[in-house]
Amino acid sequence: MANKRPFTDMLADSMPKLVLAPSFVIMMVCIYGYILWTAALSFTKSRMLPQWDFVGFDQYTKLMANDRWAVSSQNLIIFGGMFILICLVIGITMAILLDQKIRQEGFLRTIYLYPMAISFIVTGTAWKWLLNPSMGIQQIVRDWGYTDFTFDWLVNSEMVVFCLVIAAVWQSSGFVMALFLAGLRGVDQEMIKAAQLDGASLPTVYRRIILPSLKPVFFSAFVILSHIAIKSFDLVTALTGGGPGYSSDLPANFMYAHAFTRSQMGLGAASGMMMLGGVLAILIPYLYSELRGKKQ
Amino acid sequence: MIYTQKTSPIQKLLRVALYAVLIFMAAIYLLPLVVMILNSLKDVEEIRSGNLLALPQDPSLAAWSKAWSSACTGSTCDGIAPFFFNSFKIVIPAVIISTLLGAMNGYVLAMWRFKGSELFFGLLLFGCFIPFQVVLIPMAMTLGWLGLASSASGLILVHVIYGMAFTTLFFRNYYVGLPRELISAAKIDGAGFFLIFWRIVLPLSPPIIVVTVIWQFTQVWNDFLFGVVFSGVDNLPVTVALNNLVNTSFGGKEYNVDMAAALLAALPTILVYVFAGKYFVRGLSAGAVKGA
Amino acid sequence: MAALTIENVKKSYGSTQVLKGINIDIEKGEFLVLIGPSGCGKSTMMNSIAGLETITEGRILIGGEDVTHANPKDRDIAMVFQSYALYPNMTVRQNISFGLEVRKMPKAEREIQVDKVAKLLQLELLLDRKPAQLSGGQRQRVAMGRAIAREPKIYLFDEPLSNLDAKLRVEMRAEIKKLHQRLGTTIVYVTHDQVEAMTLADRIAVMRDGTLQQLATPQEIYDRPVNVFVAGFMGSPPMNFITAKIESETLLSIETKGETYHLPITQGKALASYIGKEVTLGIRPEMITEPLAHKAALDYVKVLNLTPLLTEAMGADTMVLTQFGDMELKCRVNPSYLVEVNKPCEFMFDMSKAVFFDPETEELI
Repeated sequence: MANKRPFTDMLADSMPKLVLAPSFVIMMVCIYGYILWTAALSFTKSRMLPQWDFVGFDQYTKLMANDRWAVSSQNLIIFGGMFILICLVIGITMAILLDQKIRQEGFLRTIYLYPMAISFIVTGTAWKWLLNPSMGIQQIVRDWGYTDFTFDWLVNSEMVVFCLVIAAVWQSSGFVMALFLAGLRGVDQEMIKAAQLDGASLPTVYRRIILPSLKPVFFSAFVILSHIAIKSFDLVTALTGGGPGYSSDLPANFMYAHAFTRSQMGLGAASGMMMLGGVLAILIPYLYSELRGKKQ
Repeated sequence: MIYTQKTSPIQKLLRVALYAVLIFMAAIYLLPLVVMILNSLKDVEEIRSGNLLALPQDPSLAAWSKAWSSACTGSTCDGIAPFFFNSFKIVIPAVIISTLLGAMNGYVLAMWRFKGSELFFGLLLFGCFIPFQVVLIPMAMTLGWLGLASSASGLILVHVIYGMAFTTLFFRNYYVGLPRELISAAKIDGAGFFLIFWRIVLPLSPPIIVVTVIWQFTQVWNDFLFGVVFSGVDNLPVTVALNNLVNTSFGGKEYNVDMAAALLAALPTILVYVFAGKYFVRGLSAGAVKGA
Repeated sequence: MAALTIENVKKSYGSTQVLKGINIDIEKGEFLVLIGPSGCGKSTMMNSIAGLETITEGRILIGGEDVTHANPKDRDIAMVFQSYALYPNMTVRQNISFGLEVRKMPKAEREIQVDKVAKLLQLELLLDRKPAQLSGGQRQRVAMGRAIAREPKIYLFDEPLSNLDAKLRVEMRAEIKKLHQRLGTTIVYVTHDQVEAMTLADRIAVMRDGTLQQLATPQEIYDRPVNVFVAGFMGSPPMNFITAKIESETLLSIETKGETYHLPITQGKALASYIGKEVTLGIRPEMITEPLAHKAALDYVKVLNLTPLLTEAMGADTMVLTQFGDMELKCRVNPSYLVEVNKPCEFMFDMSKAVFFDPETEELI
């Protein structure tokens, strides 16, 4: 039957596929193709230029033995963990506080949210001054008369990673708040009324009714924040430059440094693949539940 | 929102505490911005000898003008103005192209599903979340072969490619919320693929177009990674230039100029946010809550 | 020539079959109602006629022309949707003329056509409004106007009244019927409301689980439902079903709670082969009434004592739920017949329209 149909009809029928085709090709090449390409490079001894001498897992072995990589992955765990946790705590708390029929809510919300419009480069630059012991917060407090006050994390290689946490939380927590606020506004009001009629106190209503219903928001926020944490590159560059030494490096900086400035392309590719692995470990369970939810 | 009736003294006290906390938090969020503004109006000596929080004794825009037109960023000393315009040259085409692409993709994925279109969407969704480090090296090589290395077009292309996943997601999620019957009615009325898009779907799209444009504008303007990897000396975006400026150390540090430059670099996105942020947050959070 | 022929149409999504071979012929000018519980496939059937879904097997002919694989635009049909699906960005006028414009009708003709439709549906004053500024009933009328303007061969209505409130629904129902009589158009109308089906249809097609159960006039479906499903689905309140035993060509017996009751039969001949066997007796509530003096002497009535459990005054009559042995029967009595709950009183069974079903196959005997 179908072959009796005029050509224009068949063209019209395949239009959706034709429209999607360029994006499909781009996606397959520039996302999946490039991942495979990077994977292939990570098994070679490429340095400044790609060399297709396969050396198996040598680059990964080298990576594991590399102290700078060890520091940067450890930093990522500390930074990522604290960043996500603090953002979620602040975000939820602020969202609940803002949800109490606050006057000037719109104005306050704008203030909490504006940092997310700012690039990590600017954020890093601004906090670099604030955290600088000789002119920033330490100096301000000392000027107030507390001359023993010390806040020198930026130059302390043990503590510098927490500077990244402070700046990143400042930038992203408002966004998390916005997500939760939107979630709170979406909660079924009749359900809350019913709980109140049942005699539940306000904290109970939040703890037992409202927060559990925001599970998808937790999930989205968690995924978005992990994503930000793993690709944080510009924040480190602007705030600490990876220093002191390489004590505040993150994997993203390690990858950039080795692939593009230190002519260690194979090692850089291997570190990129490790980062992808980290993202997948978080993303696959998320996508799985997303797609399963859609099917229902 | 919770309904409460009587206000006891304790509740009043709680209310005061609530506002106190909210205002305190607002002060913290504003602190870096205030510090930057205050100190960009001082001269270097005043910053060095005084307190970051002190009001400028003799406010002047000298630092701003230097940051704009004569501060040194790495090798050149023309301020950040040229880079500011570089960023616009990259941002405008990148935003327009990726938004159009996202709209068409989202339209197909939401309203003209076919076998495999959901798989396509799943694959693309994944693209929103890959760390870009895993595509940087091949992309750099590809751009080299295409003769686009270190060019503005190359950077635009990169932003379009990796912005497409997000723009498609936004439009798709928005279009899924439109009634399917609208499309059925238009099909029965005799309209085809493009006519339906043009006459029915696009006129309903302004809210999501606003969200997408703001998102893409912010993303591309604020980008540092692609800028530092793929752009050449002639088309460095403003974020890269700012970083160079702040880290250039000829003689004494001119903090006031640095701060003015940082504010200038942040200005476009802050303005966009202040004027259109309301729509952005509304749309983005709706989309994200629904499942980004 | 049939205006619409549906020939052995099958449709499956993966392994689930939603249409299992449907055959319907619709005459020109006929008003056909597709009815059935949700999930019976009636909306899929409708979408397949419109061309919005492709069918897996079978043929669809419109005006004798095979349109099985034609696009919606080439089928010369118009559809009114449950949600109306008005284009929110267009005015009423643009909504009505969009289809004409797409079909390249010259502007002047379009305007004449829009005016004609607007007058027919009393939309003249609303032409420059957007759908958001209209009430539910007005939107409904615009949706119909959009369909009428194109003067298609067939109109498809997909539960068009279910988003309206009860009063408006009755008004619009009458309006659709008038429109049909005036324009003489062929209409396929999907609904799950059996009152709409009874009042509007020339013929009703009752569907269940992707199969056509019965295709007949409303009265025939009401009086002679082909099986227990149709009998129970059509009619409100639904038909009473009683397990009975055929004693002879003129008598049946009902045994419940150890007691035996007898009722007369009028269709004895048809039941001849069931003598001595069990059947399912179907009797509509309006056939169980207060004892009526003028019928008392007829041989197909019988008065029995039933215990009222619940009464619902409907105004014109009163519904009484009664206990009959271990069964509950719905009866429809005159409001002047005063019954007291839990106090047995007389009810008259009129068996002239009783129907019988085979208890195994549930088919009409």
